[in-house]
Amino acid sequence: MKMKLMSALTLGLALMAVPMLAHHGTSVTYQTDKTISMSGVVTEFSFSYPHPQLYFDVTGADGKVVKWGTEWGPTPLMLKNMNVGWTRASIKPGDKVDVVCNPHKVATATACLMKELTVNGTKMKLGGGGNGKKKEE
Amino acid sequence: MRTLKILVGSLTVSLMAMAQAPAAKFDPKDLTGIYHRETPFQTYSNVPGGANELQAFLLGQAAAPQKLNQPTEEAPFTAAGQKAFDKNIPSYGRRITAPRLGNDPQAMCDPWGVPRMLNGQVAGPHSTLEIQVTKGRTFMFAAWHHDYRIVYTDGRKLPKVDEVEPRWNGYSVGAWEGDTFVVHSVGFDARAWLDHNGYPHSEEMQLEERYHKKDADFMEMDETIVDPLYYSKPFKSDHKVWKLIKDWDKQWDEQIYCVPSEELKFNNLIRDGNVGK
Repeated sequence: MKMKLMSALTLGLALMAVPMLAHHGTSVTYQTDKTISMSGVVTEFSFSYPHPQLYFDVTGADGKVVKWGTEWGPTPLMLKNMNVGWTRASIKPGDKVDVVCNPHKVATATACLMKELTVNGTKMKLGGGGNGKKKEE
Repeated sequence: MRTLKILVGSLTVSLMAMAQAPAAKFDPKDLTGIYHRETPFQTYSNVPGGANELQAFLLGQAAAPQKLNQPTEEAPFTAAGQKAFDKNIPSYGRRITAPRLGNDPQAMCDPWGVPRMLNGQVAGPHSTLEIQVTKGRTFMFAAWHHDYRIVYTDGRKLPKVDEVEPRWNGYSVGAWEGDTFVVHSVGFDARAWLDHNGYPHSEEMQLEERYHKKDADFMEMDETIVDPLYYSKPFKSDHKVWKLIKDWDKQWDEQIYCVPSEELKFNNLIRDGNVGK
């Protein structure tokens, strides 16, 4: 599994998490002081309320496939009618993704809170307006 | 020099005109419109600072709320009220708990009911409250959870608590007291919470809402419950302010339903961390 623990967390990421506190105990579900990164292949993109969810397979060095899920959002703010410009077709099964996220507080859980997302080499906007796709900076 | 004097004179006149510009006209008895909530949500409790602010402080992501060190006035619970409060385990506020360990009815897409529908609208563009007035009835539409409630304004009397079956949104009648629209309600389903923080109410709750248009742009509201089974004295929520949306035609219908199949999948796989199991 191509995954590494990024030792520190940046204050910026912590502050970015603040707006998401408004839903469902996000802050007590994830370790917001840590991030992990991994690469995988999308199995499902669920663009549903309350938060978009991305499910993907991560293949480890031993060939073992681990199923992961991640969330971000909230969905209404991600829609094309609103700020960010996502649609349910923004990500498709088979797409290759690079994910940076806050790990779950349950150590064995393979779910996390999305902080950065790259799809087929294109960095995606997770908030703040635009048309969904973000140019490399 | 003469030109300068003219310019200064013109500027002075303009500034005076701006200073004396009459406030925009509005009908204080017309609540019709689409509003965005300006004040924080999930703040039914009397804890100063508001739940969001306090939550950020508890997580070390914000300074202490200014009033945190002042005496706080917790809800005036009766013994039964305290027991009900302790039983409710929220995923917001001071008692924030991971959803898998909590019991917020929202996690099952149960209706928020009134007054949570009014208290719990999420901040931001989907905090919309729309009010439409018809003959004999006033409708309030909450964007979040895509719900609405009816306030009867045809002069009917408010039934007694034991005369109606409990319902999620209760049974409401409204009337004008001067420029304040006053709504009285009874007959609430006790499964609903008052707010995201898990403050409870019993079926005996009586609710009063007082709506008042401050000016052409803002509407304010105060609500008070009388629930002798759970609270030893009347319990007030925070003071709420909504801003009238002028470009309402640019708003769009988000249809933010809470869909049980989607909510349960999200909570199970992502929030409870069961993906792949």
